[in-house]
Amino acid sequence: MYVSPIREPLVKGNKTYSQITQDIAAPIEGKPGKAWYMGLTISLSAMFFGLAMMGWTVWEGIGTWGLNRTIGWGWGITNFVWWVGIGHAGTFISAILLLFRQKWRTSINRSAEAMTIFAVMCAGLFPLIHMGRPLLAFFVFPYPNTRDLWVNFNSPLLWDVFAISTYLLVSLLFWYMGLIPDIGTMRDRVTSKAKKAIYGLLSFGWTGSVKHWQRHEKLSLILAGLAAPLVLSVHSIVSSDFATAIIPGWHTTIFPPYFVAGAIFSGFAMVLTLLIVTRKALNLENYITLAHIESMNKIIIATGSIVGIAYLTELFIAWYSGVEYEQYAFLNRATGPYWWAYAIMMTCNVISPQLLWFRKLRRNLLFTFILSIFINIGMWFERFVIIVTSLHRDYLPSSWSMYAPTLVEVGIFIGTLGLFFSCFLLFIRFFPVIAIAEVKTVLKSSGEKETKNESL
Amino acid sequence: MDNNYILSRKTKLVFLSISVIGILLIALSFLFEHPESKQVWMNILLNNLFFLFLSLFGALFIALHKIAHSGWHTSLTRIPEALSKFLPYAAVLMFLLIFGMHDLYHWTHHDLHDPIIEGKSAYLNQAFFFIRMAIYFAGWIGLSYLLRRNSVNQDLSDNPKYHKQSKILAALFMAFFAVSSSTMSWDWIMSVDPHWFSTLFGWYVFIGLFVSGIAAFILIIAFLKSQGYIEFVNKEHVHDLGKYLFGFSIFWMYLWYFQYMLIWYSHMPEETIYYAQRINGFPIIFYALLFLNFLFPFLGLMTRNSKRNIKWLAMVAFVVLVGQWLNIYFMLSPGIIGESATVGFIEVGSACLYLGGFLFVVFNALTKKPLLCKNDPFLKESFHYET
Amino acid sequence: MKRYISAYFTDEENLLRASKTLMEKNISILDVLTPFPVHGLDKVLGLKESNLPTVGFIAGGIGTLLAFGFQTWAFVIDYPLFIGGKPHFSVPAFIPITFEVTVLFAAIAMVFAFLFRSKLGLGAKNKIHDERITDDRFLIIIDAEKEESQFDEVKAILEQESAHDIQLKENN
Repeated sequence: MYVSPIREPLVKGNKTYSQITQDIAAPIEGKPGKAWYMGLTISLSAMFFGLAMMGWTVWEGIGTWGLNRTIGWGWGITNFVWWVGIGHAGTFISAILLLFRQKWRTSINRSAEAMTIFAVMCAGLFPLIHMGRPLLAFFVFPYPNTRDLWVNFNSPLLWDVFAISTYLLVSLLFWYMGLIPDIGTMRDRVTSKAKKAIYGLLSFGWTGSVKHWQRHEKLSLILAGLAAPLVLSVHSIVSSDFATAIIPGWHTTIFPPYFVAGAIFSGFAMVLTLLIVTRKALNLENYITLAHIESMNKIIIATGSIVGIAYLTELFIAWYSGVEYEQYAFLNRATGPYWWAYAIMMTCNVISPQLLWFRKLRRNLLFTFILSIFINIGMWFERFVIIVTSLHRDYLPSSWSMYAPTLVEVGIFIGTLGLFFSCFLLFIRFFPVIAIAEVKTVLKSSGEKETKNESL
Repeated sequence: MDNNYILSRKTKLVFLSISVIGILLIALSFLFEHPESKQVWMNILLNNLFFLFLSLFGALFIALHKIAHSGWHTSLTRIPEALSKFLPYAAVLMFLLIFGMHDLYHWTHHDLHDPIIEGKSAYLNQAFFFIRMAIYFAGWIGLSYLLRRNSVNQDLSDNPKYHKQSKILAALFMAFFAVSSSTMSWDWIMSVDPHWFSTLFGWYVFIGLFVSGIAAFILIIAFLKSQGYIEFVNKEHVHDLGKYLFGFSIFWMYLWYFQYMLIWYSHMPEETIYYAQRINGFPIIFYALLFLNFLFPFLGLMTRNSKRNIKWLAMVAFVVLVGQWLNIYFMLSPGIIGESATVGFIEVGSACLYLGGFLFVVFNALTKKPLLCKNDPFLKESFHYET
Repeated sequence: MKRYISAYFTDEENLLRASKTLMEKNISILDVLTPFPVHGLDKVLGLKESNLPTVGFIAGGIGTLLAFGFQTWAFVIDYPLFIGGKPHFSVPAFIPITFEVTVLFAAIAMVFAFLFRSKLGLGAKNKIHDERITDDRFLIIIDAEKEESQFDEVKAILEQESAHDIQLKENN
């Protein structure tokens, strides 16, 4: 396999295979610094606060939230869609970039896949706790019961159950199967008996046999082939929660691919947020290079532009349709009581990523980090705008109302942030954040020894 | 064999015969079917669009892979470049619509007393319609010309500036295409049913464009190989094109399904009428489209080997091309002609007439440059890679 | 007591060439252990293609039939309801769940098939020949049940490709 010399190296620092192992295993073998403990403390505190708020919700009821009859979905579902969307980047990096033979994915896919699992876990909490009787949540599964009833297969809310469950499981399998060889590496490196036993158990007895690798490669390729349409289907089904309705702002055919593009957009932003910090903290700058950051930024500007075009399409077709309710829905978004949310959405999602047309900015870590946070804020507001502004003023003016979250809802959201970051911090402590074996496969063709020039 | 394509007399004759068959079928149609002017214009629009799409795909393929820094495709670029050379012809053909506007587009009629159409008249009026048409073609033809010129200049010099310039041109093309592909589909196709609308429509038409383009690309490669050219195009390239055809046929189905399902689900009459008209009036075509464009390529290209066999791949590509042609037919015909629409002599004949001309233009374009470009910094990757 | 020859490489290209030569001489290679998948090694060793894809396809097919069939039975035969004015056999609505279950079945089946066939799993007791294999060493294990004379020939081939630590061992 030939790699053109104008491509930037994917592994810098003239590494050998052994050095790769060492560099990536180092954070696990050493002791974490103060920053890690501080980060974990803050995240866990946030998580426990959120858990308390969730408990309070289950105990007292949804009345503790700011929802009302007009606006039945607010922060809860906004957060659900936001988290699911973020999760999609992991699968995109693992599966779709694998199918497109993008070798630069090898140093970021492990963390991205882990991020997916944590994000989907956070997402899954919301459908659970927003139910009136969450202790009866098992009702959503089609099991034979004494009521002789089946679940409503016609409802997108049920499609969600199957989609999110499948997505969580398949992502978990994909992530773990990829991890097995690297856990083998950890097993063979650690010296303490306890750690060796644990990593040994988790390594499933991996030996590195060529026949196993052959199957492993095949498995990865086909799981990627399955995960790619899965990513598309899951967020399309989530978008159907809105698109199958009849209210303006919700019922629109562009939602499925537009939501998917938006998900990849916000997911990559979150990957960047996490990895810009991680690469510095764990001394992995030779593996997650500026070239990787730039490639991720290119995907951000591509998907961000798709999202922007979708916004313009919605606006145009609302006018073109001649339907006064559609036209009002969009007028209200831009000029009504939630105009500020719309402005944040447009600024963060449409205007700011366009700055990435400039190569200097694509390769600037500080700018990228700040932008990645803006994008996630913008994407949160996109879901908020779609959900709340469409609900608060639909066909019947006498039903028009307003919505504001309560401390409980905000607390739950903060709790999920706490859960997410706690999980991620634990992940980087105990597991290799970069796919060791995969990076080794690209060392010869794309490591710094071979290629010297920066890309044109 | 040397890398310069020669358009043999035999091949020219074949192309001519296809067009002649087309003319004969059209003549038969006038004799026996007596098509109305609406049907004639529908066929002009249908084939204008179909072959425009194949041509646009050529430019799109190059631009897209350029900005993605893709290497595997570089030895193939002369073929999509040749496809894009049909664009000026597509422009001329599209401007012919000036004479058929009343037959094609209901909104061009005056005194309709239709408040819905009047509401859109700021966008749907003939002047703006043709101004937009001019802008689309100016952008597509201009940018694809510049991209081709860069490619030729790169043959003559290995100055890296050509590679850099190409990336900028490619980005400009992508941005322009992203907007124009949607607006052109609203203008030329969606407005045929002037009361109907769908925000997904632009992207749905785009994916059809992409799939047809890949299919055409495959067929051209199969043809050139059968004549002994392009030995540097190996199984790996074929495999990648097969993956595109497989994957994007699935993506087409995905978009078709969601446009249909969301309209079916919400059951709003102003939207469902579009599908009700089609599934009730033309059930055979309705389901045939799903078979030709999804089920057949999905099952037929699932295995690895099936995607590496150029003959089988060409077979599937041909079926998909027919399916995509039928797809455009189905978007236009019920709206323009109505219940009595059929696929008759004039439909097949017009397609043949256009096909012969299109093939001639494209294969003639292939003779103008060597089949293999030079000096592309990624060219060597195209020779040494494995899927 | 199975006897075998083991040798270490530090570079996969040497390993590939050595394997090729050994295969040409019909010397039976029992296993090759590498820290990462070496491209082309499975072809050189003449390994059969894995049939995981077939497992996936069949399992997925079962999932499709199961999901679509069940929804049809539940909503057409067992307890039909009028939902949104749609027909009982509401095909478009059945598609998302059918698709998800297909993917689910295919993925789970393939993962289990992979683990089962490779004898990997929680509590699997596979012999770890050397802890450096998962770091940067490539290990080749060659059958040595036949005459001792083979050992010299094999040793020569291996040494030509910079193998080191070539030993004759016994399985216990």
